[in-house]
Amino acid sequence: MKALRRSQTSSSSNSNSPSSSSSSSSSSWIYLRSVLFVVASSSPASCSSSDRGRLKSPWSRRKRKHALSPQQWRSMFTPDGKLRDRGAKFLKKVRSGGVDPRIRVEVWPFLLGVYDLSSTQEERNIIRTEKRKEYEKLRKQCRRVLKHNDEIFKLSEAGGTSSFLLVGCNSPNSEDAVSARESLSSEERSPSINYSEHLTASMLDGNADSKRFTDASVIYDSDSSDSDSSEDPEVSQTFPSTESREENDPRMSPKDESSPSKTEVQSRNIEDFASWQRIIRLDAVRANGEWISYSPTQAAVPDERARRSAETVGLKDYDHLEPSRIFHAARLVAILEAYAFYDPEIGYCQGMSDLLSPIVAVMTEDHEAFWCFVGFMRKARHNFRLDEVGIRRQLNIVSKIIKFKDSHLYRHLEKLQAEDCFFVYRMVVVLFRRELTFEQTLCLWEVMWADQAAIRAGIWKSAWSRIRLRAPPTEDLLLYAIAASVLQRRKQIIEKYSSMDEILRECNSMAGHLDVWKLLNDAHDLVVTLHDKIETPF
Amino acid sequence: MASTGLSSSNSSSSSYDLSFKILLIGDSGVGKSSLLVTFISNSVEDLSPTIGVDFKIKLLTVGGKKLKLTIWDTAGQERFRTLTSSYYRGAQGIVLVYDVTRRETFTDLSDIWAKEVELYSTNQDCVKMLVGNKVDKESERVVSKEEGMTLAEELGSLFLECSARTRENVEQCFEELALKIMEVPSLLEEGSAVGKRNILKQKQVHHTSGGGCCS
Repeated sequence: MKALRRSQTSSSSNSNSPSSSSSSSSSSWIYLRSVLFVVASSSPASCSSSDRGRLKSPWSRRKRKHALSPQQWRSMFTPDGKLRDRGAKFLKKVRSGGVDPRIRVEVWPFLLGVYDLSSTQEERNIIRTEKRKEYEKLRKQCRRVLKHNDEIFKLSEAGGTSSFLLVGCNSPNSEDAVSARESLSSEERSPSINYSEHLTASMLDGNADSKRFTDASVIYDSDSSDSDSSEDPEVSQTFPSTESREENDPRMSPKDESSPSKTEVQSRNIEDFASWQRIIRLDAVRANGEWISYSPTQAAVPDERARRSAETVGLKDYDHLEPSRIFHAARLVAILEAYAFYDPEIGYCQGMSDLLSPIVAVMTEDHEAFWCFVGFMRKARHNFRLDEVGIRRQLNIVSKIIKFKDSHLYRHLEKLQAEDCFFVYRMVVVLFRRELTFEQTLCLWEVMWADQAAIRAGIWKSAWSRIRLRAPPTEDLLLYAIAASVLQRRKQIIEKYSSMDEILRECNSMAGHLDVWKLLNDAHDLVVTLHDKIETPF
Repeated sequence: MASTGLSSSNSSSSSYDLSFKILLIGDSGVGKSSLLVTFISNSVEDLSPTIGVDFKIKLLTVGGKKLKLTIWDTAGQERFRTLTSSYYRGAQGIVLVYDVTRRETFTDLSDIWAKEVELYSTNQDCVKMLVGNKVDKESERVVSKEEGMTLAEELGSLFLECSARTRENVEQCFEELALKIMEVPSLLEEGSAVGKRNILKQKQVHHTSGGGCCS
């Protein structure tokens, strides 16, 4: 943290702000809630065009549209099940009003890139089947490792342990580890030496270096092409058509991970798969239960089924929970564990369960929830990197937004040595999940996903010409929203707070005091004024 | 960081004689946040994992002195450790928490957490307290009280077993720690220095905010 703060300070202070004086004259702009026109009129010196006010935020009270309705959604498809105009209208609609809860289960896979925006129904059916199989295979491998770990645990209880763990530590070479395992438990050896074997060996390795993850990726890759076919005749190829769809997205195919993994894992790294499995289970049973009132079917899950699924994933300490929460926790475990396998550089980090829980509440099928989560994590995974690069970059952007928008507030933060904006850390890591209600969080995420999907598909370049000029979709809408939430409290921060800790406390207690649409509206204003200063052009 | 962490110009009405910074550390899920929440309020509920750091302030009277405890709660996962490590700085008391029903949380205290304290704590005289939580689950207990006491001796720390769920020993935990801190002259001095500085600071803040919005 200290390192994070220091480097942050130096990097953010070297960018000179030509407009930094402009906003001091508008110190109370945030309170003059005639919203739209405030930005344009109160900061005349900052950037250029004076007609900026004409572009109304899609989230302003007057302009705000309703959520995408089921009828609208159905009418957006051609007879062969393709979204019209490559989904431009669809994304624009979601961007301005979110999605009706009744159709979220259908819409999210599009927003999160599980399905291509220009796919036909037939193509989606194929992808769906493939992805389901791929997920099931990941689960199978998780179960194998879990079983294996349990046996090791039992051995360790019996006192005959450290031999294995030592072997694991000393030899990243998987052959040694495998042979060690043979000697320990020959019956556990699975017929196909594959991914899970190697991964087990390398992930149990307490002092793993960067190599282990590269190994894992490579092994995963090779595994995907052959090995498991003996057990799973129906799974012959794991990444068939995904490649063409996701070629510009390295996160979707783990084989491309080998180079980033080296840089990401350089920081010290003692976490292993076994510890992830442990923490995942701990976090799953204490997941927020706010979703329950929004998912009546899952809330009504029979006790027996809930307990069965809990047993299947080896959940512990759940007796005090309601069936619905047990079931939810079991699903969280299954999916988080599969994800740790899928993306071993990130594995599991606390906070990821916050991001998955709403997806699980919306998506009734585990495999669909998993792939939606993968889509979500494509960007969010950087929040959980061991080297903190992702977090640092984002805090830096929040800091820059505040600096450009409100130099008075920024100077106050500097005085308190808080200009690194560490106080918004939690908002960044779990994307406002802790500060907003369940429904509000979903709205914010949908709007954010729509922006990101539009950028991915390059739609806004042609179809959203007006938007493009002034407030283009941004990868970092969240960060503008976070900056907006801080700016909304500027008066209090400047007048009352004399330490970073107090601001941290203020930020950590925003829960229940935020209006998501006002936040988005303010964020929009910030995008309009500042995006060309904050972001590098696409 | 440490000194600013203890000022609270916000609550100007509350006065206190001494102000201490206390840090809660230990593995994920041992109940650090639960201990804190139980201590601060009366609620006993399942809490989501802590992301990064958070803190709460408790005013209480111990040994005839009005104390302000700023208690920092940290995320337990390895990955947050670089971040949380800077919060050891200036702490007068550190609570090392384990779960009596999970042995690894106990062994990690000596293997990992005690070393973190040595590495990052800037305060040589800092008072440590070992806390075995979740004693309400007696049937699942795997770490005995004797083992806890032995480790506490090794670490040169205080020791208590408690339950955030039943509130058993929770207040004692923080009170004993505070009492012990007050017995250490250097820490006592730090605590009162911060208290005095804080009063001055409050005045300043009051002045500037009264005089106008610009500072």
